[in-house]
Formats: sequence, C-alpha cells, structure tokens
Amino acid sequence: MTELVDTALERIHSSANLADLEAVRVEVLGRKGVLAQLSKDMGKLTADERVARGKFINAAKQSLEGAYEALKSKFESAALAERLDAEWLDLTVPAPGPKRGALHPVTQIQWEIEDLFRSMGFSVLDGPEVETEHHNFDALNIPPDHPARDMQDTFWLEGHHLLRTHTSPVQVRGMEKLGPPLKMIAPGRVFRNESVDASHEHTFYQLEGMMIDKDVSVGNLIYFMKTLLTAIFHREVTVRLRPGFFPFVEPGFELDIRCLICGGPGCPVCKQSGWVELLPCGLVNPHVLRASGIDPTEWNGFAFGLGLTRLVMMRYAIDDIRWLQSGDLRFLSQFGGQTA
Amino acid sequence: MKFSYNWIKEFVPTLDLPAEGLERLITMKTAECDGVEKVGPLREGAVVAKVLEAEAIPGYHNQKALVNAGPYGIKTVVCGAPNCRAGLSTIYVPLGTKMVSGVLSDGMLASAAELDINKDHDGIVELDGSEGIPVLDHAIEIDNKSITHRPDLWGHHGMAREVAAITGHALRDVVDMSRLPAPGSPVEVEIEDFTLCPRYSALVFENVTVQPSPLWLQARLMAVGLNPINNIVDLTNFIMAELAQPMHAFDREKLVGRTIYARPAREGESILALNDETYALTPANLVIADASGPIAVAGVIGGDGSAISETTTTIVLESASFQASSVRKTSSALKLRTDASMRFEKAQDPRNTIRALARALELLPILSPGIRLVGGLADCCGPLADPPAIPLDLDWLGRKLGRPMDAAEVRGILESLEFKVDAAFNAAFLVTPPTWRATKDVAMAEDLVEEVGRMIGYDSFPPTPPLVPCAPTYDPPAREFLRHVKRTMAAEGFTEVSNYSFISEEEARRFGLKPEDHVRVLNPIAAGQELMRTSLIPGIHRNVVENARHFDHFRIFEVGHEIHKQADATVKPLERPHLMLALFAKDDGRAGLLELKRVAQFLAPGLEVRAAEAKPFEHSTRAADLYWRDAKIGRLAELHPHLVEAGRASVLDLDLDLLLELTPATVKYTAVRRFPTSAFDLSVVATAREHSGSLEAAIRRLAGPLAEAVEYVREYQGAPLPEGKKSVSFRVVVGAPDKTLSTPEILAIRDGIIDGLTAIGYELRV
Repeated sequence: MTELVDTALERIHSSANLADLEAVRVEVLGRKGVLAQLSKDMGKLTADERVARGKFINAAKQSLEGAYEALKSKFESAALAERLDAEWLDLTVPAPGPKRGALHPVTQIQWEIEDLFRSMGFSVLDGPEVETEHHNFDALNIPPDHPARDMQDTFWLEGHHLLRTHTSPVQVRGMEKLGPPLKMIAPGRVFRNESVDASHEHTFYQLEGMMIDKDVSVGNLIYFMKTLLTAIFHREVTVRLRPGFFPFVEPGFELDIRCLICGGPGCPVCKQSGWVELLPCGLVNPHVLRASGIDPTEWNGFAFGLGLTRLVMMRYAIDDIRWLQSGDLRFLSQFGGQTA
Repeated sequence: MKFSYNWIKEFVPTLDLPAEGLERLITMKTAECDGVEKVGPLREGAVVAKVLEAEAIPGYHNQKALVNAGPYGIKTVVCGAPNCRAGLSTIYVPLGTKMVSGVLSDGMLASAAELDINKDHDGIVELDGSEGIPVLDHAIEIDNKSITHRPDLWGHHGMAREVAAITGHALRDVVDMSRLPAPGSPVEVEIEDFTLCPRYSALVFENVTVQPSPLWLQARLMAVGLNPINNIVDLTNFIMAELAQPMHAFDREKLVGRTIYARPAREGESILALNDETYALTPANLVIADASGPIAVAGVIGGDGSAISETTTTIVLESASFQASSVRKTSSALKLRTDASMRFEKAQDPRNTIRALARALELLPILSPGIRLVGGLADCCGPLADPPAIPLDLDWLGRKLGRPMDAAEVRGILESLEFKVDAAFNAAFLVTPPTWRATKDVAMAEDLVEEVGRMIGYDSFPPTPPLVPCAPTYDPPAREFLRHVKRTMAAEGFTEVSNYSFISEEEARRFGLKPEDHVRVLNPIAAGQELMRTSLIPGIHRNVVENARHFDHFRIFEVGHEIHKQADATVKPLERPHLMLALFAKDDGRAGLLELKRVAQFLAPGLEVRAAEAKPFEHSTRAADLYWRDAKIGRLAELHPHLVEAGRASVLDLDLDLLLELTPATVKYTAVRRFPTSAFDLSVVATAREHSGSLEAAIRRLAGPLAEAVEYVREYQGAPLPEGKKSVSFRVVVGAPDKTLSTPEILAIRDGIIDGLTAIGYELRV
C-alpha cells in the first residue's frame, strides 16, 4: 500500500506543467485513483483493520493533496511570472494624447496679483475696453484740451468712443457701482496709439487699484505699497515716493523701488540711480470722488496703477515686448510649467 | 524741457550744490529729471587767445597758426577754419598735442558749435574784444509730463523758486518792475474776448539793430535747446526760457494801421507762418491781427509777413496771455506745437506779461545798443481775479499725510513757495496760492497736501497699516468662470494666445464679415488695423498659419472681446467675451473636429452640434452650429483648405457670456432608480450622409418616456450594404421608475421604434 502511495506521489512530482498536474490529479485523486482503490476493499476488513486503513488513507490523502496543491501553486506562480514578464512595457515612450497647454504669461501674472489682492479683501472688477470720453478722461479730472491728454495717445473710434488708455475708468465704474468704503482692483487690456517696437506696444495690460475709506493717509499708501510689492517680488523691497503728476490723484506720486538687481549702488538696469520707477499712485483727487458720486469731505483714499505687461517682462526678463502679442508658440509654450 | 544750471544759479546765487545733486533733489521734491549733461565741455580751461601769425601748410587745407594763448603761453596750433588770420581774437582750448598735417599742433582753436555756443561751424569764434567765454554749464533735463500742471516751471525763474525752497537759499528776482513806462503807446490793442485773451501788453522800440546776440546769451539758449537766430528773436526766447512768458516781436513797419487786434479768425482767413507753412484758419482759432488781417496765430506762431529781418528798425514787442484750452485746440488743429503753445496750454499767469516787458527793457539796450523805447506801455487787460484763500486744517493735513504736522513747519514750507499764510482759528491756516500757481494747479486743500508732503519728503511719513472694515468682497461671477475656462483649456492641451483687437478690412472680408459692420478706428496706428474685431477668427487664423511653419500639430486658444457696432453709432459698442480654439494637425482633420467637440462638451455638458451650412471660409462640408440649452452659443468648423496650407485646422468659437448665463446655478437632484433597466440594440440603415444625431433623435422620440438612454454604438459601411448606405447601431436602455419592465413591455417599446422608423422610410438590420 505504501508503495502505491509513493508511486502516486512520484507521479504528482513528475508533472511538468499545470495541465500535466491536472491529469495526474484525476488519475491519483479521482474516483479511480489510488485512494479510491485503497477504499475499495474496506468492506472485507475487520473493524480494527478498517480503523488502521482509514488512518492510512487519510494520511495518504493529506500527503497527496498537499503535494498537488504545492505544485499547483508553484506552477501558477511561474505562469503568472511568465505573463508579467511577457508584458514588459517601455514606460519611457511618450504618453499619447495632448500635452498640457500654457496660459499666457500675462494671464498668469494677472491671476497671481488678483489672488494677492483678494487675500487682502479687494474685489476684482472688469470694465469695457471701449470707453466713453467721460469715464476715460473727464471723470478722472482730465477735461478736454487738458495737456494731460497728451500723456496718453488715444485711439478714437467712430461714434465718439475711444479705446481705454488706462484701466483707471474702472475706478470710476467701481465707485459708481459699489460706493464707499471700497477696495477694488481692475486688471485689463489697454490701448495707446504709439508705434510698436521692442519696448513699446499699442496694446498692453494694466492693473488699477483703489482703496476708499475714511482718513486714508500717505502713510497708509506707503505701507500698503511696501506690503504689496514685497509679496509680488517675494522679497523685502524698499520704496520711495516722489512727486508725480496725474490728474486723478492729488497729491500724486511716482513710486520707485530700490533696484532689485544691484540693491542700490547703481547698475545698467536702474541707469546707475539705484532706483527703478515702478508705478504711479496717489491720494484720489476729490474731483474724481465727486464725479463718481462720493462725498470727498467724508471719504478719501488712494489709487495706483500697475503695469502687468511690465511686470511680466521683469519677471521673465523678456527683452522684446512684441513676443507677448505674437501668438508664437515657440515663445508661449515656455510658460506651461507652473500654473495649475 | 532743459534747464541750465548756471541760469538757475543766477536766481539762487548762494546755491552750493553741484548739478547732479540738484537733479536728485528736484526729482524727489518737484519733478522727474531725465539726467544731467555738460554743456560746452570744451569750455573747461578755454581762454581768449590772439592769433599772432597764420600761414598755409603746403599741400593741406589747414593753416599753421601761432597763437598767444594767455596763461598757456604762445602755442602752435593747426587750424582748418578759413577765418583763421593774424590779429583775430578767438578761443583757445588746451587739448594736448598731436600731429596734424605734418605739424605738431598744441591744443585747438574752437568754433562756436564746438563750444555749444551756437550752431556755427563755418569758422572759429571771432571775439570783438570785450566778450569773455561762456563758462561751462550743465543742462538738467526735466520730463515734460511731470510739469504738465506747473505753468511756472516752464521758465528758469519758476524752477529756481523751487530750488530755493528746497535748499533753503534765497531767491533773487531779476525783474525790475520800476523800468516799466507809464501807459501811452503808439499802438492800440483791442481784445474781442477777455476769456480767450485775458491780457495783451506791448512795447514799441525804434532804432533797432538786428544782429547776432552776445555769445553768453547764445550759449544760454543753446544750453536749453533753443537755437540762436538774431538778437530780437533771441530776446523773446531768452525771456520765455527765463520767465515762462512767451513773447513775439513784429516788424512795426510791416504792420498795417496802429491797432493790434486779438480776435477769432474770420471764416476763410489764412496765414503764412514763420515756418513757411500756410495755415487755413477758422473762428475756433484766435489770431493777432492788424488792419489787413492775421499777423500771428495767438500763442502758437508768428506770421511771416511781419517777421523780424536784418532790415528791421522798429519793433512791436508782444507779451500776452491766452486761454490754455484755446491755444491747445488751435495747436492740435494746426498740428503745430511750438515752445510758445506748449507753455500757454499749461495756463500761464496773465500777471506775468508786464514782468516780461520789464525784463526786456533791461536786456534790449545790451542786445541792440542805441535802441529807443517809443512812447509808453500798451496794456489791454481783462479783469484778473485774485486767487481765493484755501482753508487748511492742520489736523486734517496730518491725517492725510499720516503724521501730526507742526504749524511752523507747514507755514515755513508754504511761505518758501510764496504762498500767503494767514493764521485762522482752531489750528487752521488760510492759504492763498501765488497767482502763478493758481491758474490751474492749486485750488483746493488737497493741492496743499502735495506742497507740504513733497517738501517734507514722503520718506518721513511712517508706513501705517490702514484701518478698514472687514467685509466679504464683491466678486463678479464672470471672473471665476473665465479662469475656469482658461484653466480647462490649458489642461486640455491648448496654449493661450493674445491677439490685437484691430483687424483690416481685407481680413474682415476674408472671414465673411462686412467692414461696414465694424466699429472703425478714426486714427489707426497703421493701415490694416482700422477695424475693431467682431470675431477672434482673423487673429487665430494668423496664429495658425504662422505656427504651422514651426510645428506639425498644435492647439491654441484665445479669450478676448468681440466688439460689435450698435445700430446707433453713438451708443457704446457691445463687447462680448469669446473663446476660440484652434487645433492644427497634418491629417484628415476628422479627429481634430471631434476633439474640439469633446472639449466644448466638457465646458458645456450636453452641448449639441447641429449641422449648418458652411461659410465661404469654412470647409464646405464640415461646419456646424453649437447649441446649448436651446440657445446657439457657438460654431465648430474646419477652416477652408485655401486658408491653411499643408494641414488641417479646426476652429471652435463659443460666446462666453451666453455660456455663463446658461450655466445652471444649482443642480437638480432626481432620486436614483430603484428598479433595473433593460437594453436592446438597433441597427438602422440610412444613407451615408444621414446625421447619426437625427437618427438618435428619432429613436429617442419613438422610444417614449420609458427610454432611459439612447446611445450611439458604432456605424458600418460596406458589404453587404449597398453603396451609399450605412448602418448605425444604437443601444436603447429602457426602464420604469416604479417597476421592472416585463419582456412583452420591452418588446413593445422596441417594436414601436422599429415600426416608427420603418414608417419614415428606414430599414433596420436585425
């Protein structure tokens, strides 16, 4: 009997693959297998013998099934390993489908600054690109035939409209819509009738900002600008104010920052002065408040203009402004890396 | 505008800052400076010299001169000037030695141009013996834009007043008003409208000799960018540069009659001006006229007919004041900006006219020895209002600037700028601006904030966080939506471009748009940029063509405003933000169009594509309208092959305002189905160009309310189907909300669809 079982075990172990093994299983453990044969003459045995035979069969069964299961599992693992091996894949081939596109660098900077202002509680407003003379000039204290109109060469449209020369008209629209107190910015496309060259564009982007409240002071303006510019440039900046003439503010300032390249001693970027002119700002002229229906004896505030296009050029060290409106993917696709 | 450092120093004699230091102070306190440059650098070390001998150098055009160069001793100088001759008194510049024309030349004899005295480069300077050499000067360039509001800063005296106030030095006034004669001139002045011409003052002189001005005066004019012409013209320019008061000299013999009129031009009048141009005038232009007609365009330019010439012996010297806006209008209408018009348009103080004449009375005898004043002063003047006093509350001033203000400091600053300061009660002043600041610049207390703030220096106000209310911000929904659109497009592989808002007539026509439907730019920057775009397609098309030179396939998008003309042109044009996508590839174009459709449906789930007739610029069989929530919100098409070489470009246009408007504010929830659904497939045989969308719509309609979904599965063409036919397969999912459908119920729906389709002529493959 032991011999029979040993032979069966050998048969199991000699299986070369899963199919073999399955055949052996039927042969050994099936109805006509070794165990079945051993059970066949049970009826002829004595009670004691039956007990002994039963024990033997059980042991044999365990041994044979164990061998079968072990081998089966081995074959299955091998088969899986083989399949996995066959499924070798070169993951360094390019992924199919389109690559991520890039947002325009002006869009990216604009969003960044918008988010900064929103974190400080400013509303972000839009205004039309086609403006009335009233909103672009008159309400900003630039009456007709005022020489200040020369500062902004204007595209005039039929119907006595114009293309806004700055985002400042949105100040007026914002004050009209929201009233005081007010914290708002207005980014957008503006137009100046000047010839295009490496540093001049007739189409560019600005961001206008305004805060209207009670007793807003020059000291507040300086604090705010310092905070803002430190956030924009990701480093502490030193600012200075000097007089600047813009009819919609009084007093008006040019804000300079300590040159970020040389830090002060002078370099070609700051034309050796140690300072870089960055933005115009000032306390809102009472005429402007009044034109927008706000009582200047009760409210005042500050306003400023940021050149978004200029910031883009500073941020990326772009040497020719014309790239921005070129639509050229060799330029634009470079800006796809960072924005979510 | 250029300022001469030496000139300023004449008004502020104790000034001890060099030009560069002064430039920085002016920038910080008054106006933006664009730099300092030396005027006449060769004047440094130059001396008056006498030519002792001059002989030609054989074989050369140059002469060899022996020169008595005063402190430098006797020098041998090679000189190319034809006027170099023995006995000539001229100017020697010690420049070191060099070989010239085979002779060792030590230093040089200079022309007036080389010394920045005038533009004469024909020969070396000829001195008459009494004259010295103008000393080295520095020109400080001020940005004109930064003094637009300051009429007084268009002359040296005004700038010197600032310098004196900034540095704490005394200001000297060069004008001696006691020189002015009593009224009673041989010319009469008639002003038609004192608003347009508040004042016209004049003096008449005889025994005038027209000759070059002295070198020092020429050098001054050159330093500030004015060309010396002759002593009379130079005088007017000199006083203008000094006192900001433009003047004009007429040759009196050429005037008709003894009355000078300041009046609007009559219809049809014209004038030949000093620049040899003839200008047609209208009643909008103020002129100075004699009995025969215009002799000058007021405040802009003089007439040629009465100009000073070498033969002039009597002159009328005009010093007048004109309304700023009138001068500006005339100057822009005539496209003529002059030194005079630039000053008048800043609103000059009418009180300045007679100061300029008093100054002329001092200078003219020097410039034209022997000159005689004829009669007295002609001075026609309208009512001149005194500047009103402005109350200035010191506490308010401190709150504006950001720190408490000291009364004595404020008073000191304002008085240094010649504001009159009267103490009022309650720590307040009554401040009267000087007349030259009151014409335009200073009228309210905020203007005084600037005066005090800039003089103290803005750096002295401590940065202070504002105390403002804390409230949620107002955020227009369109902004977040636009960000979402742009982000989605970038994530879908499209790169953002930005195109101009201008297009050409030709571009409009190329894309089936009528030029007359566009808002026109009245002063386009260049031909081809005369219309405001009513579609983003011309720009996107240009991007496609240009980028196709470098790339085989790409995706771009633009978000920009379409600008639409209103029926009434005076109503502001309508601006609609649009999204335009373009996908370029070198294939058969099908995948691109469907990809754009997918992206559109990503933005607007459920967006429908409805076949539409192609426009001429579109592929004739590949164009469709896009509908969402029953509104037409855009267009999908392939560009016509004529427009895109070597590839296919699909474009998609969406009206973003409409898209945002139709976007549901909230989601409506329906209970999740509790009973199972069943599905069956149908294959409909149709002609090859039948739209699967219309088949789907027909099935949906026939399936009735229990149809949960009708899904396109695939389509097939080829055997055994006949040529020109296709089979389109759909899966129909049906189910009831309140029970499981029985097989007969499902079959009934299926049969209903089949019967319905058969009834409208379709065959089904079963």
